[in-house]
Amino acid sequence: MFLAILPVALSAIMAALASDEPQYTKDFTDVIFDGLIIAVLLPIVTMVLATMSFRHELDDRTLSYLVLKPIPRAMIVVPKMLAAVIAGGLLVIISGVVSTVIGPESSIQAVLAVGIALLVGVVTYTAIFTWAGLVSSRALGFALIYVFLWEALVTSLLEGARYLSIRGYVLAIANGIDGERFDSIDDRVIEFPAALILSATLSALFFWLTVRRLNRMDVP
Amino acid sequence: MTISPERNPSFESEPVIDVRNVSKWFGNLVAVNEVSLQVYPGITGLLGPNGAGKTTLLHMIAGLSNASTGEIRLLGEPVRSNPGIYHQIGGMSEHESVYGFYTGRQFVEFNARLQGINQIESAVDRAIQSVGMTEAQDRPLNTYSRGMSQRMRLAATLVHDPQVLILDEPLNGTDPHQRIEFQNLMNRLAEEGRTILISSHILEEVEAQAERILLMVNGKLAASGNIRAIREKLDQRPYKVRILADNPRSLASALLQTDVVESVTIDPDDAIVVLSRNVSVLQQSVPSLARDLGIRLFRVEPLDESLESVFSYVVER
Repeated sequence: MFLAILPVALSAIMAALASDEPQYTKDFTDVIFDGLIIAVLLPIVTMVLATMSFRHELDDRTLSYLVLKPIPRAMIVVPKMLAAVIAGGLLVIISGVVSTVIGPESSIQAVLAVGIALLVGVVTYTAIFTWAGLVSSRALGFALIYVFLWEALVTSLLEGARYLSIRGYVLAIANGIDGERFDSIDDRVIEFPAALILSATLSALFFWLTVRRLNRMDVP
Repeated sequence: MTISPERNPSFESEPVIDVRNVSKWFGNLVAVNEVSLQVYPGITGLLGPNGAGKTTLLHMIAGLSNASTGEIRLLGEPVRSNPGIYHQIGGMSEHESVYGFYTGRQFVEFNARLQGINQIESAVDRAIQSVGMTEAQDRPLNTYSRGMSQRMRLAATLVHDPQVLILDEPLNGTDPHQRIEFQNLMNRLAEEGRTILISSHILEEVEAQAERILLMVNGKLAASGNIRAIREKLDQRPYKVRILADNPRSLASALLQTDVVESVTIDPDDAIVVLSRNVSVLQQSVPSLARDLGIRLFRVEPLDESLESVFSYVVER
């Protein structure tokens, strides 16, 4: 919750202190939107919620109550992911949208861009981290390494790696929906259609992997 | 080894549970080793000491885990990746975890909904009534005793009226009265033509309700067949009993004169170790002999009552 309030509070402070509009917009996008909401809040919130989707039931051995039922495994995975998307999405999207409203060049299009981009990010991360939580009891640790090593470090150093970065997809989608408001990140985002297709593909792939894992794993 | 031939007429039909050459290993540990067995309608007991591989085998039969090799079919169908089959199967695992925030009734309702039952209320009423938990049904599960929790879990397992029941140590935590009720319930369900596979590590528990047993030792099926035949073999087994008394030599000499004692030794601690094939008679003989001879008894204890030793005996035979 503190993490979700932080961008809002910083946006308010920046708005109060801002004078130079173009620089303010660039700083807001770099520091609050990209640096805090997309790089920190989004992955951490979804990571915690999604890796725990099955973990509790695996640890206390109650998962058998679900899998010993005549329901397709996908119908077990969907509500789990939906719950993580709704809980995580509410927190991340509200934080992002409120920060955008407070921030520079606020418009309905900018709010939509942020909301949709963050929703795509929440869904994609949730799909990956739900699978990770089912595969390993140390998923949270691996997820942290992935987020801070791959998403934060590698993709900022290697341009091609942005095609395999959820952070990159979120930025590209926001930029694709409202190019004017997010023009300061033009030079470091991939193509809008590519971001949509890749995030949808990754989400579908990891959803399928999660269902497959639930079908094949030994349930304690 | 098979102790006695199968004589149940229903065995001529297709087995309800058919396990063929199934093995399961975890890394270098072989938990289940080349097990083949068939289970038919009625009550079958899966018996074995802790660590024998019973739970691993039941998990594979219930579809909770994959066999490393071999094939398992229930009602003629593979059970893995076949969720539809759970309309006809009720599985109860050994672990007693429940959703503690539910009341007993809500827990059974939750299972009924997942089973896709139409008449939920009546099905839940019937299941809870069958395990004698009607009065406590509205209490949260985390306030139940172990035995009550087991009974409510059983109600949740029975709520969709399954044809096949796979129950892993269902009597854990239940008291003698509850055990009798459980046995009556299982007998009733078996008479209705259901197939019930119950695991236990307690011979007497299985003996009281199963006509047929499957005996597992060290991951292998050591014996299968009619429980009376297996029991007869067990009764022929010599037991060791250790006796501590204030005059061991006199007592040992007197014990050797009885019919039930095969041999008597006195160990360095002056404890008498008696080998007998009739422990129940020996239990009566020792106190009366001691009283007649004016000897004080300090302790009488079996040395090899463990299930492992019983199973070892059966297997070695």
